[in-house]
Order: sequence, then structure tokens, then C-alpha cells
Amino acid sequence: MGARLLMNFELTPTSHTLADYRARGGYRAIEKALGEMTPQQVTAEVTASGIQGRGGANFSAGRKWSVVNLSDGQPHYLCANADEGEPGTFKDRWILENAPHLLLESMLIAAYALQVRHAFIYIRGEFDLPWRRISGALEEAYAAGYFGKPLFGTDFVCDLVVYRGAGSYVCGEASGLLSSLEGKRGYPRNRPPRLTVRGLYQRPTVVNNVETLSNIAGIINGGAEAFKATGTKKSPGTRLISISGHINKPGVYEIEPGGAFREFIFDTCGGVPGGRKVKAIIPGGISTKVVTGEEVDRLTLDNEALATVGSGMGSGGMVVIGEGTCMVRLLQVLLRFYHHESCGQCTPCREGMGWMHRIIDRIVAGGGRPEDLEQLKKISAWNDGNTICGMGDAAGYATVGILAKFSDEFEYFIAHGRSRHDGNLECRAST
Amino acid sequence: MPRIYIDGLPYEADSRQTVMEVAAANGIVLPGFCWHPKLSVAGNCRLCAVQVEGRSWVEISCNMPVAQDLKVLTDSDIVREYRKSILALTTLNHPVDCGICDKAGECLLQDYHYEHNGAPSTSHEVKVHATKFHALSSRITLDNERCVLCSRCVRFTHEISKTKSLGIVQRGDTSLVRASGDGAFETDAYSDNVVDLCPVGALLSRSFLYKSRVWYLKATPSVCPGCARGCAVNLWHRKPEWKLQALDARHNRAIERITPRDNPAVNGPWICNRGRDLAPLFERERATQAICAGFSVATPAAIEGARSLIERARRPVALVSSWASNEELAAFAAALGRHFTVFVKRDREPEPGEVVADDILICADKNPNSTGALANFASAWGPGSTLPEGTDLLLVWGEGFDLAQVPQSLRTIVLDAWKNPGHARADVFIPVSIQTERRGTYTNFEGTVSGFEACFEKDDSVAHAEDLFAALAAANVAAA
Ligand code: SF4
Ligand code: SF4
Ligand code: SF4
Ligand code: FES
Repeated sequence: MGARLLMNFELTPTSHTLADYRARGGYRAIEKALGEMTPQQVTAEVTASGIQGRGGANFSAGRKWSVVNLSDGQPHYLCANADEGEPGTFKDRWILENAPHLLLESMLIAAYALQVRHAFIYIRGEFDLPWRRISGALEEAYAAGYFGKPLFGTDFVCDLVVYRGAGSYVCGEASGLLSSLEGKRGYPRNRPPRLTVRGLYQRPTVVNNVETLSNIAGIINGGAEAFKATGTKKSPGTRLISISGHINKPGVYEIEPGGAFREFIFDTCGGVPGGRKVKAIIPGGISTKVVTGEEVDRLTLDNEALATVGSGMGSGGMVVIGEGTCMVRLLQVLLRFYHHESCGQCTPCREGMGWMHRIIDRIVAGGGRPEDLEQLKKISAWNDGNTICGMGDAAGYATVGILAKFSDEFEYFIAHGRSRHDGNLECRAST
Repeated sequence: MPRIYIDGLPYEADSRQTVMEVAAANGIVLPGFCWHPKLSVAGNCRLCAVQVEGRSWVEISCNMPVAQDLKVLTDSDIVREYRKSILALTTLNHPVDCGICDKAGECLLQDYHYEHNGAPSTSHEVKVHATKFHALSSRITLDNERCVLCSRCVRFTHEISKTKSLGIVQRGDTSLVRASGDGAFETDAYSDNVVDLCPVGALLSRSFLYKSRVWYLKATPSVCPGCARGCAVNLWHRKPEWKLQALDARHNRAIERITPRDNPAVNGPWICNRGRDLAPLFERERATQAICAGFSVATPAAIEGARSLIERARRPVALVSSWASNEELAAFAAALGRHFTVFVKRDREPEPGEVVADDILICADKNPNSTGALANFASAWGPGSTLPEGTDLLLVWGEGFDLAQVPQSLRTIVLDAWKNPGHARADVFIPVSIQTERRGTYTNFEGTVSGFEACFEKDDSVAHAEDLFAALAAANVAAA
């Protein structure tokens, strides 16, 4: 599985504490950044590392940072997106629970690079232990003088607030998150302007995923070159993968992109219960297109390889679907989720999600019509690129992806009024 | 000053403008529900999309900044297909029961649907039903099924009336516009603007609901007389060709509703609720009978009586109306100004419960033409004012002055439009026309002059003040 950049210490009852983090060399990267580097140099190092955002969109973090004009005289804000809400995705949770100081130190470095006085962590309301751990860590860090006071003899001061969201998928979308943080309804915002131009309180704001930020301390400590030495050329570093579904050893794993996909599933994660076959895998949160078991066998696990089958590593939330699963019912579950979570702001998503959900409900109830599949694809296309945030597109990707690869199952269901797999969502031996 | 191209034609733009704004400024109508020139951009209806030349997708124009040589297409195949899809989605759960909808005839969805889609729905699903008549306040009811969630109404209460009294609850296709629990919408003095703002028949004025189909009505441009702002309004009443024969004739002279008429120099597209409620003020029982020395007389006889009182008076005083038009005031000044000592009287004072003044539109002076009146006659009649020594005749024009205040010995002439038992105390009473029966102008507190048109014919027994003064002065002027 290769290098370890984040899960590189033994989990003990105290490994999340400040004392243990310091014993592992913690808070030296911020000292180095403040002592030896200008803010611009920090950003340059992060850009040079080639690190891509780990929240789903895979945008270069360094490029996002470079847009912020440090001398514009405005306050800048930094926000860690800890609202991990994509179904199947729970990898940031591992960092929040087990390495909270790594996130805090990395945020200090980012705050220095972006000249941020006030930083935020926006965390899902349902994330109870992660919230307690990150809040506890923040208390320790304040007590130790890392926040709220000038650091290491410089005049750099940063305050950080942990804000608990109420738990809505769309509040994990960066602009919806900022609206929620401002105390408003969590509606995503139209771009332009970008958040780095007008974000929180209309000021330049950088929103980064927890895992992305957590890599910063390591990049500063070890240098961009060392970071680039891991992973693949286009996807440097490691990735945290949360794996669930029909898998023997679900959990969070750190992988180095580029390894064989099959190996990860069968060797690392123990394969599918009952020694069954992989029918499909949703590789990076339900917004990424599903890959078939046959594709899994021949792909490596990285963005480049997944892109060849129209998919990607997305948010790192991997869902394994074992043989015998009914894909029609699976799509029903996904569409129920999207329908439930659509914020309702823009027309195509608000109406489209409900429409798709009702169509699939009708198919599952035995009332499907042949033209329904076209209609589902059409509604997906109507959403594609035409919504305020990516949620409308995401539902379409999930739908089109499953329909493209398992159309025979849908056609069977519609023709016979029942599932070829008895409507199973469990993993069953093929009949 | 970037130049952009819309469908191949060049337009000058301001660099802060969006494509939608440039289009609107040049008379190009791009369909859209959520964009409004006076509200922030929401970009949620997604209907206004255009295609940037060379790209294979569409983008919304209301949030598209202009750039030098930007070329957009508003009627390409992609755009046309896209509009169809959005309208199919908009009408997915919308009842489209225009036949009974109060907005029919002025509904954007109805218009766009026919213009840009027109195709029957391809949905086999049952429509999602929502609350039909939800009382947002005692004035406004909301039909949630017709709401397209454009958020104009919500933004209005956040950005214009500033009560923040509306919001959206729930998510997805169960989203509902609701008033905040603190009752602020009930007391929002501008709440009814959301009824005009609503692009569909979701927000309905309870006073107008099911009263009339709009195509039976005519909008006469007018000026609200409610306060010194003088907002531009439309007075809606039955078109002459649709006069009702069978019902009470009063229906044909009723003001069915009052809506704002966009005037950037005065009120923009808004008016206050009070302005919408003025119809009953106009529709009070009219004075149609002239009185002379306690007896009902024909109007010419009363005019003659008044004329001779004026002629005999040595120190006559006039209290002129601040509800009078500039033209009427000028006619008074020309005919009688030199003979009378003139004071400008306030015809109306704030009533209990009425918003006295705010920093949006409402002015403390509840008369439309105090400024115009004071431009003609400098003295104002206030609470402590008294009649000059030796006054032997008092002419009271309009309302707001109690004749019981004056000694019985003083001769009085009263000109008024509405019935009032006090009129019998006057030596001469002459009924005059009201704003809706004549045309003229008012000057608002900022000096802006706005004109109003007549909606109805006046009764024969009623005089236009503008004509009356010359008649009252005829002999007097000759003698002077
Ligand atoms: S795409 Fe869906 S979730 Fe995103 S803003 Fe529009 S309605 Fe909301
Ligand atoms: S809102 Fe418009 S489209 Fe809807 S029923 Fe009323 S008139 Fe028809
Ligand atoms: S009630 Fe009308 S104005 Fe308000 S959101 Fe709905 S459609 Fe828009
Ligand atoms: S008018 Fe542009 S999205 Fe509604």
C-alpha cells in the first residue's frame, strides 16, 4: 500500500492529544514556516507539491491559494470543510478523531500563507466524537499558545472557531457551507464571483477539505519534492479511502495512488463477504460514476486510471457492491438521497431530483415503462452543468453511470415488473 | 466601457453590468423568474440562460459579467432546447390551472410556457401537492403549488422593506415560502409589493382575490395622494367596454386595485400598503348636492351665491387644499389670489395605527401636494393658526378643517368632494370633483412633479375646482 503520510503513528488512547502530537514532532512545521518562509513561499511550496483537493473536485490546492491577493487590504478567511456528507465518505472523520492537531497545525500554516486572522472549521452536527476531539485539541492548542497569540516571536496571530452545522449535504458544498457559517440558510451561491474573491462575509475565503489541509504540515516539513515522490505523477501524495458496503474489512485506509485496484479490494480490505464477486464499485462518493467488477480487475487506483472509465477518486468514499445486488434498488436509494438533500434553490435540481426519485419508485413498484430510462437520462442531462452547485450534476452522474453499465437489469425490471435479483441490497450469491 | 454582442448586434455596456442588465437596458427581454432589477441576483430559476458563442453549453445571463467582445446568443438551438427543459421542470408540479388563477393574464410562467415550450408534460408522475391557501398575513395569501421558488419575495423583505419577514423552509421540492414567526410580515408596511413581484400567482392579495380578471380592467396612471412622496401608481378599474349592466352600477366606478407604476425619480417600482388601501378613501359617499343658506340648490345657484359673498367681503381668507393639483392651485391664484389672504391647509393628518414616516418611502406629511400649494401661497395653516383680525369671509377648500371652530357670524364658503354633515353649517357649499375624475399634477416633497389622469367622468352636479374659480371671480375680477 506504500507510503504513510497521515496514518503514520500508532493509535493509542492518547495519540490524539497535544502531548503525543508534539512527541511525534508536531507544531514544528508552523515554526519552520514562520521562521524561514514568507507567506508566498509557503504557497509556492504547496503549489509545487501538486497536492489536489481531497474533497471531490480534485482542484489544485496551491492554485486556489495563489488567487488570494495578500496585499488587498481586506480580511481573508480560511475554512476547513469538515462537513463530510457524501454517502460512503467518512475518511476525514479519521483525521478529526485521531489527528486533530495535524489539522490545526496545518491550518495555522495555511492561515499564515493566506494572511488569515480568523479561521474556521465547519463540522457536521452529527459528527459527535470528531467534534469533541477537534474541540478538545483546539482547547489544548489555545492553552499552549498556538492560537490567539503572536506565535514564535513573530506578529502572526490566528484565532480559530469550530462551528457545528446542522447536517445537510449541501452545506458540505463550499459556498453553501459559508452561507450556513454566516448564519443564513445553507444555499450554495452562484459563481462568479469565486469564493477566493468573495467568500465568507463577502471577503476572499479559502475553503479546503480536512484531508487536503492536513497534508500541509507534512509538505512544509518534508518539502514539496518528497511529497511528490509519493503517489502518481498527476495525483501526488497519498489518499485516505473510506470503504464500506459489501466488504469484509470496512474502514479508513491510506493508500498511495497507482496500486492495483483489485489488490486494494481483495488483499487490503479482505474482499467481498462469502468470497463473492465484486459487481460494481462506487469509487469516490456516490457522485462518482460506478465502475464494474470487470473494470476493477484491470484498473489501478488513481484519478488517471479511473478517468478512463469516466470516474474518479472523488471524495475517497468507496462503496463496494457485491454480486447479487439489485442495481435498480441501489439507484432508488441514491435518488432518494439526492431528492431528500436537494436544497431546493434552483429549478432543475429541485424539480428534477423529485421527478427522478418518483420514476424509480414507480419502476421498483412494478409500474415502469420502457421510456422511463430515457426520461431519467434526459432529466440528468437537464441538470448537467445547469445548476448552482454540483449536486444536480452529481445525481445525474450517478444515474447515468449506473444506467449505462447495468441497463439490462433496468430493462428486465421494467419488462417483468420485478427485480432480476429479488430486489436485494444485501450481497447474495448470483442466481 | 466594454462592448458586447447580443445575437450579433453590438451594445455598449458598463463593466459592472451583467448580460441580463445590458439586455434589459436595450429592450431585449430574456425570460427569467428570479431576476429583478432592484433585487440581488439569485440565479435560481435558471431560465435566463444564453449561449456564449463557441461554447456548447448554456450559462445564466443574470449572473454573467460583461467582458469586452463577449458574444452571446439568446435564440440558438441549444438555448431553445434548454428553455423547454427548464419550463418542463417548472411546470412539473405546478398546477397550471390558469383558468382560475388570479395571475392569469399577467403571469410570467403562463407567457413563457406558451412562448418557449408549449409542449405537453412528459411526466407520468402525480403532481406534488402543497398548501393551497396559506395566510402569510391578513393581507396576503400564498398558494404554494404555484410558487416557483424564485425567492423574489424573500429577497424583497430582506433587501427593500428590511423586515426579513419571509424565508424558505424545508428542502427540495417540498420547499415552502413562509413568514417568520415574529409576525413582522403582518406589520411590514410594504408587504403587498411581493404580490406584484411574484412572477406567478402564488402570492395573492386578499383584497383583490377573485374580484376580477385583469383583462376586464384598465390601468389609469395616477399619483398616490397618501403622502408627500407622491408615488406613481396605476388605478385599476373596469374598462368602459366591459361595463357591467346587471350588477350595481357602483362596480363600474370602483377602483379594483392600486399597484405601483415604476417611477425611478420617486418610488421606483414600490409603494406602501397604505397607498394600496386608498380606494375606499376615494369611494366614500360623495357630496353631489350644492347648498346655499341651508337649502339644497342647483350648483350654478350656489356658485352665484358664493360669488356675491366674495364680492362683498372686505377681508376674505381662504384655506386651500394640499390635496389640490398644481393646476387647480394655479387657477385659484390667478382668479382669487389677490383678493384673499391664503393659507395652505393640511387636508389629512396621520391616522392612528398608520406608519408616520420611515426611510423607505413614507413621509410624515400625509398630503400629496403641500409643496405645490406652498409654492403658490407661502403661508401654512397649522394647529395654532388663527384667522386674521377682521376676517369677514372664510373659504375652506377640501377636508381637514372643522367649521365648528369658526364663529357663527363669519360667512363661509365650503368646497368639498365628500359628504360631511358639517357642510350644512356653511353659507354656501359647492361639491367639487376628486382626483379620479380629473387630470393634473402634484409636486412631491422633493420637488418632483408627477401627473395623473382621469379614470371616470364626474357627476354633472359636481364642479371641477379648476373651472370653478374663474366663475367665482368673474365679477370680482371685473371690479378690481
Ligand atoms: S443544484 Fe440542487 S443543491 Fe445545488 S443549489 Fe441547486 S437546488 Fe440546491
Ligand atoms: S401561476 Fe401562472 S401558470 Fe400558474 S396557474 Fe397561475 S396563471 Fe397559470
Ligand atoms: S411566492 Fe412568488 S415571489 Fe415568492 S418565491 Fe414563490 S414564486 Fe417567487
Ligand atoms: S433570471 Fe437568471 S436564473 Fe432566474
